[in-house]
Amino acid sequence: MLPENITAILARNEEWTGEATTEPYEAGWAREAVIFVRALKQPVGPAPLARIEISPDGMHWIPEGTQMQMPTEKDGIAVARIAHFGNWLRVSTSFEDGASCTVLVTAHLKA
Amino acid sequence: MLTRNDANGDLAEAIRQAMNLSNPVLSRFDPLPRIISLDEFSRGHCGWSQLVGNYEDTLDSMLPGYAQHTSAMLSTLPHWDAGSHGGMGSSYALKIATRPRPGAQNVAIKRLTFRKRGPIRFEAYFTFKPEATELKLGETDVRSVGFLFDLQGGDRDNGAERVMPHLRFFNAEGGRHLQKWQFKNETTRFHPVGSGEKTLSHYHLAPEGWQDLPDGSQRLCYNEIATKVNWSYLRFDFDLAEMKALSFQCNDRVFDMSGFESIRMPAMKNLWCMLNFCFFAETDVAKRAFLYVDSVCISGDF
Repeated sequence: MLPENITAILARNEEWTGEATTEPYEAGWAREAVIFVRALKQPVGPAPLARIEISPDGMHWIPEGTQMQMPTEKDGIAVARIAHFGNWLRVSTSFEDGASCTVLVTAHLKA
Repeated sequence: MLTRNDANGDLAEAIRQAMNLSNPVLSRFDPLPRIISLDEFSRGHCGWSQLVGNYEDTLDSMLPGYAQHTSAMLSTLPHWDAGSHGGMGSSYALKIATRPRPGAQNVAIKRLTFRKRGPIRFEAYFTFKPEATELKLGETDVRSVGFLFDLQGGDRDNGAERVMPHLRFFNAEGGRHLQKWQFKNETTRFHPVGSGEKTLSHYHLAPEGWQDLPDGSQRLCYNEIATKVNWSYLRFDFDLAEMKALSFQCNDRVFDMSGFESIRMPAMKNLWCMLNFCFFAETDVAKRAFLYVDSVCISGDF
């Protein structure tokens, strides 16, 4: 049997401002994840770094160490490649006041 | 008196049942003769994907009820205090999680078409819990969990309709532990999406319009802390020929479906022979609701 391989949509057409995160996603079956963040509209203001965060329980989060520069233009994409993440994954970022980005966040997971 | 064909039919049925009962995966179900799909989530999502709303030109045209939906997950039911709970026959279950705000919903869907208009049977093992963010039972945090079909007759059928039977376990609202099965026979009005020439949208899981199933109260095994779960069985029989519910069972209770009605509407342009199945979850408080599905068997009499 071929190994499991799933594309999951973590956020779709969400306008991110301030402290922004994706919903918690469980993927303990996956050995690796590639996460893309695409700007669906022209971002406003400075583009922050986004962090990959992991968790023991889906409720308490800690940076995994991987960061990516949020897109600076419409249809720009950021990418993070992650392994050794346990079960829980999310993307988190912090915008300055007045800054925003409408995102499509997708996770590409492989057993 | 049995004819020779009757006797052969009885023998074939006895062999079929014996083979199902000797198969540990199938033995926990009572499928009709043809198995349309048998889903165990240690084999992946088995086609249960996110219900995405309709849109045209821009995602902004998607109705808010659909925009909130997220992808279902393969979960071991991992709990902060007790570790992975696991499923009935493997480590994994399908997890449908809402966002953490009152009234938030999420839906997973399996999209098929049918080849014969006759009886079908939908069986599943499921359980539900709120996210264990408090050291409390949280038995009134999940508003509802349920399932629905989205069906439409064939393109040559006279008077074909789109028919959407809905059933939910209305667990709680406003802190009241209600624990009863409900159905709905009305949807919200249709909205054109984009130009409206090809695509319409309606949010059929809006909170309005649910009605109590007669004698539909049922206390399920909820257990005693937020991280202990027990699997429950459900079975819903529906006749695609008459587009009518035949029976519904949850655990030891079989419910009277004579008063059950589906949402019905005129057939739509591009949905012929549609055979869609959905599971959904809804939270009542600012806490995620989780619907877990261990396994699903969909079968038909053809």
